[in-house]
Amino acid sequence: MAKILEGIRIFDLTLAAVGPWATKLLGALGADVIKVEAPGGDRLSHAVPPTIKGDSVLYISANHNKRMIELNLKTEADRAIALKIIEKSDVFVQNMRPGAVQRLGLGYDVVARVNPRIIYVSASAYGRSGPMAKEAGIDPTVQAFCGWCSVTGPENGRGEMYRHLAHIDLTTATTITQAVLQALIARERTGRGQHVEIEMLTAAMALQTTRLAEYFATGEQPRPLGSAAATTVPHQAFACEDGSFLAVGVERDEQWPGFCRALKLDELIADPRFIDNPLRVQNRGVLIPILSERFRTKPAAWWSIRLGKEKVPNGPFLKYDSLRHHPQVRQNDHIVEIDTPHWGRLQVDGLPWKFDRTPAGPIRAGGKPGEHTVEVLAELGISDHRAASTSK
Amino acid sequence: MNAGADGSLAGFRVLDLTQGLCGPFCTMQLGDAGADIIKIEPPSGDFARRMGPPFVGGESAAFLSLNRNKKSLALDLHAPEGRTIARQLAANADILVEDFGPGRAHSIGLGYDDLAPANPRLVYCAISPFGEDGPLKDFPGSELIVQAMAEYTASLGRIGDPPVRVGADVASVNTGIFATQAILAALFHRIRSGEGQRVAVSQFGTLLHMRGIMWHSMTDPDDWYGFHLDHYTRPPDYGYQAGDGALYFILRRGSSEDWDRLVLELGMERVLEDPRFGDFGRAATSIGRHATAVKPIWEEAFKHRPRQEIIDLVKSVGGDAVPIMDYQSLIAHPQVEALAILVDVEHPTAGQFRTIRPVARYSETPDAVVSPPPLLGQHSVEILRTLGLGETAIERLRSSGTITGG
Repeated sequence: MAKILEGIRIFDLTLAAVGPWATKLLGALGADVIKVEAPGGDRLSHAVPPTIKGDSVLYISANHNKRMIELNLKTEADRAIALKIIEKSDVFVQNMRPGAVQRLGLGYDVVARVNPRIIYVSASAYGRSGPMAKEAGIDPTVQAFCGWCSVTGPENGRGEMYRHLAHIDLTTATTITQAVLQALIARERTGRGQHVEIEMLTAAMALQTTRLAEYFATGEQPRPLGSAAATTVPHQAFACEDGSFLAVGVERDEQWPGFCRALKLDELIADPRFIDNPLRVQNRGVLIPILSERFRTKPAAWWSIRLGKEKVPNGPFLKYDSLRHHPQVRQNDHIVEIDTPHWGRLQVDGLPWKFDRTPAGPIRAGGKPGEHTVEVLAELGISDHRAASTSK
Repeated sequence: MNAGADGSLAGFRVLDLTQGLCGPFCTMQLGDAGADIIKIEPPSGDFARRMGPPFVGGESAAFLSLNRNKKSLALDLHAPEGRTIARQLAANADILVEDFGPGRAHSIGLGYDDLAPANPRLVYCAISPFGEDGPLKDFPGSELIVQAMAEYTASLGRIGDPPVRVGADVASVNTGIFATQAILAALFHRIRSGEGQRVAVSQFGTLLHMRGIMWHSMTDPDDWYGFHLDHYTRPPDYGYQAGDGALYFILRRGSSEDWDRLVLELGMERVLEDPRFGDFGRAATSIGRHATAVKPIWEEAFKHRPRQEIIDLVKSVGGDAVPIMDYQSLIAHPQVEALAILVDVEHPTAGQFRTIRPVARYSETPDAVVSPPPLLGQHSVEILRTLGLGETAIERLRSSGTITGG
């Protein structure tokens, strides 16, 4: 069956996580992704622990669905090969520091001259103008800079970082994937390629659009609230009799009566202090102690059963060991296992979308640095000493 | 009034049957790209209109941040006539986005199989909390519940303390991004093949994908260390406290000379004997193996110096350093201005409000913010007229409560 991006070739000059994760997703949609690395591979991602059989998990996980080739773009010979691949490509993605790709002689103007229909994506941490333009950025530095720690943390506590250091990286990556798809549609309609620019900082701020909106509306810093939502109440964790926490989320007014019934607090349904969400947010300080006291009288499972019957959103705080084999995860392929040539059987992120007519995937492991150099050059009819030395 | 005529999606029609944060973030992106968005709201309005305070001019700040470039039709889908109108609009749409939950759209005659016979080119996107199979497929979700179940809270707070969520609405916004990708991919396929299809995304699946590096890490790691693993057990990370605020820094490059200079400037000669500061300090900062253990040593050296002085010093030795910022310092930062990240939008009741621009900048087919978020039912009559309904029919729908608004 035809893949959505069948016949679309990506010249992938990306590093670390932001660029590679974006092209990995394009590969899952059927694009022919050619990841171009300096000899020895992407040093940045190879240096990041942990490893599996000696290779960085970051490198392995961000480079599925690609072919890995090595070119030394600082030599004229390999730069000429790169330009030949670019001629036959539809998309060029790079996330070097501003200026670096120009120094390699592969800036947008050069690439667009070789291939005017190309979609050229430049991703960076802070863009190419302004006082931060020269700064490198990685997930934790952008986390620190983008303000999101200021709305995350325990109530009345200090703002803290999200310790799994990939969310801003991957948010930027997925924005790149989206932009490539959008520019491919535009090219079908206009016949032209274009330059697309994306910054991690802007992606991180768009990710916080609802929280920044609170700041713009009031001029006041929204405070960290632990597990609680700022603009919907009750929408937080409650400690239960068995010592475990239950997440509860009343986002819609029609869920409120069922919530009260589940807690056997029917008298609150029509209480004028809590009759709609804006009043519950304003009277949070009165309501939450009442609810907290109630939740502490029974175990989480009891409340979960009762809330479930009333169709009130609720759920446990899961961790890897309970998630891994969870039937919801398994049956929806949210986490899947694949066999790989170098790293054994790997447990990997599932695809984030389902297509009824043109299924994405299957997910393939990428490869070791340079593993496909000869194959790709031969396939594209590019003569090179590396091809000559192995072909008979 | 039509959104960005130069945008990539100019002329495409989207029927938006979503509420809250997730679906509306998706359709806002389609609208930014120039598509025409018809937002069908229940007569009581999208529930996000009541997410607050804060409210401005009667609209919630959250709603204002997610609904530019859309038109609103307030329509009762519980009424048979309301469903008929929705089906007529779907017959003329290129894209439909819904978040009713698995099977529910079909129960009101708005499922993909109900609509595709009349509109085989339709790209139909279904958004659910947990996915369309499995024991939880009919469970309702919320931002926190999806974060909790996808173990996002395992990377925050302190073990044994009450859970902490990510302050941003990641289960909603990131799913909105994947929904937009799925729609764009299916639209690209339609342009090349002529055929539409149904696509689906879930919030749970989204966050589990976003932690994908984790699942690899847990397969069979060579050692239990590295930031993809030890964040489960690390204490909360507040960055590094300096005299007048916190910063975050990394030593990734730099030579022996740089390292010596940094150590001397900070009066930290003692660490030269400490093996944890080996490799020019790289193992002692940020994601380094010893970062958590040695943080107090850095903070002791930082505590009487202004933050900016340390940032400048770290940069002078080839490191990366940034202040940890709150919203006020972020919004005032010249980098935010240099990238023109903020846009001001004029709204009929809220006045001028501020929001974040479309992220990607396209040189040929730019995204644009053209119109403010709609008032509830602001375009009801205008939209019904496009279906050929006359004054009498519209008045009848209004008096029966099937539609509201202008």
